Amino acid sequence: MKMLHMFRGPRITIGVLLLLAVVLTACGGPSSASWSGLASDDANLIYVAHGDRVVAVNPLSGATRWEYPNEDDRDAQFYAVPLVADGTLFIGDYKGRMHAVNAETGAPQWLYEPEKDTLIGPISLTSDDRVISGAAVSDDKVFFGLGSRNVVAVSRESAAEIWTFETEHGVWAQPLYVPADQAIDQQATLYIVSLDHRLYAIDPESGDQLWRMNLGGAAPGAPVYDQERGRLYIGTFVSEMLAIDLAQRQIVDRYATENWVWGSPVLENVDDGDDMLYFGDLEGYLYALRLTDNGFESEWKQAVANDAIRATPLLTNGLVIVGSKDHHVYAVSKESGATEWEQQTEGEVLTELVFVPREEDDDEASGLAVVGTSEGDERVIALNVESGDVSWRYSD
Amino acid sequence: MLDIIVNPFITVLLFLYDMLGGNVVLAIVVFTVLVRLATYPLTLKQQRSTKAMQALQPELKKIQEKYKNDREKAAQAQWELYRQYGFNPMASCLPLLVQLPIMIGLYRAIVATLAATPLELLDLSQRLWVSDLSNLVPLENQFLWLNLAVPDPLYVLPILVVITTWLQQKLIMPPAPKSSGGDKAADQTAAITRQMTTIMPLMFGVFAISFASGLSIYFIASNLIGIVQYGLTGRIDFRRLLGREPEDAPETMVVAGKAKHSQVIEETAALEKPKRTTEPTLKPKRSGISDTRAQRTKAKSKAKG
Repeated sequence: MKMLHMFRGPRITIGVLLLLAVVLTACGGPSSASWSGLASDDANLIYVAHGDRVVAVNPLSGATRWEYPNEDDRDAQFYAVPLVADGTLFIGDYKGRMHAVNAETGAPQWLYEPEKDTLIGPISLTSDDRVISGAAVSDDKVFFGLGSRNVVAVSRESAAEIWTFETEHGVWAQPLYVPADQAIDQQATLYIVSLDHRLYAIDPESGDQLWRMNLGGAAPGAPVYDQERGRLYIGTFVSEMLAIDLAQRQIVDRYATENWVWGSPVLENVDDGDDMLYFGDLEGYLYALRLTDNGFESEWKQAVANDAIRATPLLTNGLVIVGSKDHHVYAVSKESGATEWEQQTEGEVLTELVFVPREEDDDEASGLAVVGTSEGDERVIALNVESGDVSWRYSD
Repeated sequence: MLDIIVNPFITVLLFLYDMLGGNVVLAIVVFTVLVRLATYPLTLKQQRSTKAMQALQPELKKIQEKYKNDREKAAQAQWELYRQYGFNPMASCLPLLVQLPIMIGLYRAIVATLAATPLELLDLSQRLWVSDLSNLVPLENQFLWLNLAVPDPLYVLPILVVITTWLQQKLIMPPAPKSSGGDKAADQTAAITRQMTTIMPLMFGVFAISFASGLSIYFIASNLIGIVQYGLTGRIDFRRLLGREPEDAPETMVVAGKAKHSQVIEETAALEKPKRTTEPTLKPKRSGISDTRAQRTKAKSKAKG
C-alpha cells in the first residue's frame, strides 16, 4: 500500500483502492455457498432449496406451487437437501436453524433457532452455524448436523431441543436413523459420519455415544445401510468406499477409487444374484461393485465424465444416471457401464437426482430424471430417462 | 490463471499444517512469514525506489510549475531529470507487479484451504497436488473461541486488523510532502496520504468482519511482518504514530525561481539522514557516464592519473 504514494492523482489512488477491494472481495469465495438441495415427495412435488428460498415445483410441468419463506422473511440461505416425512418438509438453513413447513402448502409449522450466548448486546460468543446436511427423522425427533461441528436432535412436534452431540468437525452428511425393527441388534441407532474422520453410533433417545470408529478420512456423504448384511457403506475423502460391519464394528472391506467419494452410494437389491453398489467419484469415474460374501468385487469402472461426479447416482430403467461438474448428465448401462445418452446443461450438475414416474401409467421407462444445475436460467431440469431429452426447465 | 500460484501455495500450506501439529493458525502465520521473506528483496527494492521518487519531488514540482501549460515539455523535462539521476520510475512498479499476484495468491490459498462451504471444499479437491494430503482435509478450524472458517463473533480480530493496518500505514507510508506556499498538488497529496491512513485500515476491518477469521490472522501476520521488515531497514520512526513529522519529510519547494535546481537537490539531500549505505543517494550522473561503482572508480583513477 505504501507504493500507492507514487500515484499523485486522487482518482488513481481511489481507483487502486477500489480495485483492491474488488479483487479481495472477489477472492472471498464463490457467490453461492453450495449447490441446490433437491428432493421429491413420492413424485407429488419437487422441492428445490437454493439461496434465500425453498420452492415446490410440479414434477411434470415445472410450474411453481409455493415458495418458502415469504418474501419479507427471507433472511437466510437454504442449500440442504429437504426431507419430507408425513406431509411435513424439514430443512435447515445457513443460520443453524431448522424449519418445518407444510409440504403441500408451504405454510410454516415451526422454527428451531439455536440459543446463543451473548456477551454484550448483539455480540455473541459463537458464530452462526450452518445446516449443510439434510435431516433425518424418527417418530418423535428430527436429527441434523451442523456445518462446523455437532449434531442436534429436536422435537418433531414442538421444535424443542432434546440433545446435542459433540463431534470434532462439521457434519455435512445426512444422519442415518435405523429404527429398532430394522437394526441388527434390535436397538434403534443414529449413525453420523463427520468431517472429523469418524463414524458415530448414537442412542437416538439420549444422544449418548454407543461407539465410534475412525474412517481414515473425512466423509461428507450419508452412509447407506445394508440391512441384509448388517453393513454400512461410506465413501471418504481418502478415495475409498468402505464397508463397515455393524456387529463387528470394524471396516471389513475397502475399495480404492481414483479420487474423493462425496456422494452416497446407491444399493441395488438383486433378487436372483449378488446385490450391487453404484457410486461416482470427483475424477468423473463411475463404479459398479458386486457385494459378495468375500466383500467388494468390481463389476465395472468407467471414466464417464470429464469432471467431478458429486452426487448419488439415480438407478432406473436399467440405467445409472449421474450429473457432473462438466455441465452434463450421463446415463450409462447398469450392466456394462457403456454410455447410453448424455445431455449438456448450462451449469454444473452437482445436486442429487430425483426420479419422477409418469402420472399416466407409472411406467418406469417413461419417467423423468430431475436434476439441478448451477445456472439460474436452468436451476432445475427434467430429462426423459429413456432419451435424455429435456422435458421442462425451471429458472429462478 | 492465478491457479499457478494458488495451487502450490495450498500444497505448502497443507504440508505446514501437517508439520505444525494440525494448528492452522500457526500454519498461516509461518506461511505468511515465508512468503514475505521470499518477496523481501522486491519489497526492499520497491521501498528504495519510492524513497528516491520522493526525494525527486521538489524537482518534479518545479518542472510542473515551469511547464504547466505544455504537458509534452513537462514530460520531456521529467524524463531528462530521471535520466540525469539514473532513476527509473518503473523500478517502483515492477516489484509491486510481481508481489501483487503472490499476495493475492496467498490470500486465495488461505480461503481455499479453510473451505467453509461445500463449493469451496469441492474446489479444494481439485487443487491438491499431492493426493496423500487428502487425509488432512478439511482442516481443523477451531482455535480458541474462533471458528476460523467464519467471521470472529467477538470482533477481536477485526479490531486487531484495523490497528495493525493503521500501524503499518503510519510507520511505512512515506511522509506527505509539506506544502510551504499553498501548493495545491502537495496539499492534495498530503490529503490522500491522510485519507489512505484512515481508509485502508477501515477497509481491511470490513473485510475482517465479513470474511473467515483465518483471513484476519493472515492480515494481522502480514501487517506485523511488514512493520518488522521495514524496521530492519532502520528507517522506522515511531514519532509518526504521535502525529509528529519525521526528520526526513521532504519540503516541496514551490517558490519558483528562488532556488536553482542544484540548490533544491542539495537541500533535499541534506534533509536525508542516510542510515545505511544501501540508502538511495541522489547525485546527478556525469553526462554520458553510467552511474556504476566500477565506472566511478575507473573515472576517479583516471582523474588521479
